[in-house]
Amino acid sequence: MSRTMIEVNDVTMRFHMNNDKIMSLKEFVTTALRGKLHYDEFTALDHVSFSVQQGETLGLIGRNGAGKSTMLKVISGILKPTGGNVAVHGNVVPMLELGCGFDFDLTGRENIFLNGAILGYTEEYLKEKYGEIVEFSELGAFIESPLRNYSSGMLARLAFSVAAMVQPEVLIVDEILAVGDAEFQEKSRARMMELMGGGTTVLFVSHSLDQIREMCRRVIWLEQGHVKMMGPADEICEAYTG
Amino acid sequence: MRKKQAADVNLKRVALWITGAYALLAVLLYILMGYQLHFRESRGNLAMPTAETGTVELVQGSAVEQRFSAKIQRLESVTVQWGTYYRPNAGTVTIELFNEADGTLLMSGSFDAAAIAEGGTTEINAEEPIETAYLAPLLLRITSDSQPGSAVSPLMSASAKEEGFSLNLNGAPTNGVLCFSASGEDYIWTGLHYWEFAAGFGLLLVLSELFIWNQHKKGKHSYVINALIAIKKYGFLIRQMVSRDFKLKYKRSILGVFWSFLNPLLTMAVQYAVFSSLFRFDIPYYPVYLITGIVLFNFFTEASNMSLTSILGNSGLITKVYVPKYIYPLTRVLSSLVNLVIALIPLLLVALFSGLLPTKAWLLLPFPLLCLTVFSLGFGLILASAMVFFRDVQFLWGVMNMIWMYMTPIFYPESILPKSVARVLEVNPLYYFISFARSCVINGVSPEPMAYVQCVGVALLMLLVGAFVFYKTQDKFVLYL
Repeated sequence: MSRTMIEVNDVTMRFHMNNDKIMSLKEFVTTALRGKLHYDEFTALDHVSFSVQQGETLGLIGRNGAGKSTMLKVISGILKPTGGNVAVHGNVVPMLELGCGFDFDLTGRENIFLNGAILGYTEEYLKEKYGEIVEFSELGAFIESPLRNYSSGMLARLAFSVAAMVQPEVLIVDEILAVGDAEFQEKSRARMMELMGGGTTVLFVSHSLDQIREMCRRVIWLEQGHVKMMGPADEICEAYTG
Repeated sequence: MRKKQAADVNLKRVALWITGAYALLAVLLYILMGYQLHFRESRGNLAMPTAETGTVELVQGSAVEQRFSAKIQRLESVTVQWGTYYRPNAGTVTIELFNEADGTLLMSGSFDAAAIAEGGTTEINAEEPIETAYLAPLLLRITSDSQPGSAVSPLMSASAKEEGFSLNLNGAPTNGVLCFSASGEDYIWTGLHYWEFAAGFGLLLVLSELFIWNQHKKGKHSYVINALIAIKKYGFLIRQMVSRDFKLKYKRSILGVFWSFLNPLLTMAVQYAVFSSLFRFDIPYYPVYLITGIVLFNFFTEASNMSLTSILGNSGLITKVYVPKYIYPLTRVLSSLVNLVIALIPLLLVALFSGLLPTKAWLLLPFPLLCLTVFSLGFGLILASAMVFFRDVQFLWGVMNMIWMYMTPIFYPESILPKSVARVLEVNPLYYFISFARSCVINGVSPEPMAYVQCVGVALLMLLVGAFVFYKTQDKFVLYL
């Protein structure tokens, strides 16, 4: 049962921080010629290693700028680490930002398929789930009209429904997203909890220690790119607040 | 649980499909290329020298004899140019071509001197292409039964000199060369060995399939299998993105898709109006010539412009979800391809209206288009990654694209280029694709096999370079967006 889903080996992520980004060829050549092409380096992650087992919900806590978001981006493959490597066995759905890739000139239905394809689902699977997604979003007949006619609440509901109706092997969550009116918020919160409790491997970032305690058995505490502590949820949360 | 993505591809079926498709294409190509696969215009054809003076008044009893030899494997015709002294003439002139090695008469013809105009030409043809004349000592002999005062005269160039040629006027050796040309065909080596080639490549294909199959069984990863998995995995995404591009392009326009159809027609109409009255290029089927160039070049421009912004324009996605980054330029090129296919309809309509009849060579048209697509993809990959690092590229490319357009014979014939500039055509890949397409549509025949090799070679080279540049830089994209 206990298959390793995410392996993070000695990952280091460094960014160049030159004062102003060189965006033109001329600038590049002139600064290079003047020998001023130096970079300040910023280390966002410093030799971080951990692994996540199948079905486990791992919590990530830390202050702003501790490297939590960078870690999530490295795991979801958006950033390539400067050193070390990451192996993820299975499909990753990053719930970092909802509705990315939505096109406002397309209808809700077209966007469900487009967004679903971007998140890595097959055509058959989306067709099968289409009814559920529409029903969950409570959009009704609006599903056939272009997104530019949607209210922001409707957009958020559609985005959430696409992201949450699917059951990925690895789910990456940056704060529990609750959108829409009070009723829908309750529904979406319940759905998130259901997803995270239902055998999926989850990587969960939150500033709410209550949620972390509730959802996770194991927690990693990042500070300035280092793993400060790693262990059972209660223990780490106590140390973090203390 | 979510259905696992079918990550394993049915290798056996794919291999069978590829092998079958290859065999079918090899046979199809053989049929479609037909005559052009075996023969091409001889490289040893003799061009007519520029006339400077007349030879002798060709009266009864006089003879003009030109000895020459040519590297023509299948000699078909000889043409002679005439002067008339600007007067009406009478009588009959006879042109004969002998092979002096064995004294045989190869071809001959008689012409009415009255019908010959000043500077006009007469041509004698062989009944069957002559295969024995290659580098043989040939004698071109011109005689007549005309009376003095009403006889024509073959023209000559006194300053021209050719190795091994000699001109005798009424038996007297003379400096210079007669104004004549000889033409024929050469065998194409590739054509003679077509089936050996086809079988060789087929064998190579099967062997590499077996090799990959073996690797796969051992559990090794190979690029080919990864690529197949990617096609299967991302095929749906690519289709979705192409259909989005296509839907968006003509969203909220009244004529919609019809514009893809109308655009090349209108461009052609404007250029036709301008260039047919202003410059008067002497090109047969000028509208077809124009629209072929326009459709192909427009595709290249559209595909490269769309790829240029493909990474930058999708920065919102790239920084949030992992999708292989080549998908973005690839989908842009593919959506341009959809437009290209639609634009083929007006192209073929114009061809039909101009009086061209469909030939089997029209079926070869997908070949240059496919090569052009591969080329554009390679080029687009370079543009897309360059654009991420240097935003100047978009402005630079705008100018470059214009220069490229003028360097490509789209609305002018390639013959008006001076010799020094004509070299540029040889290094202009787009010219290969366009002239290939023109040969299929206008001449109705396949180009010679060399053109196929050039098209495929140029396209693959560009794709390789593009893929390499893109692959090497793609990890840094996200830092610069």
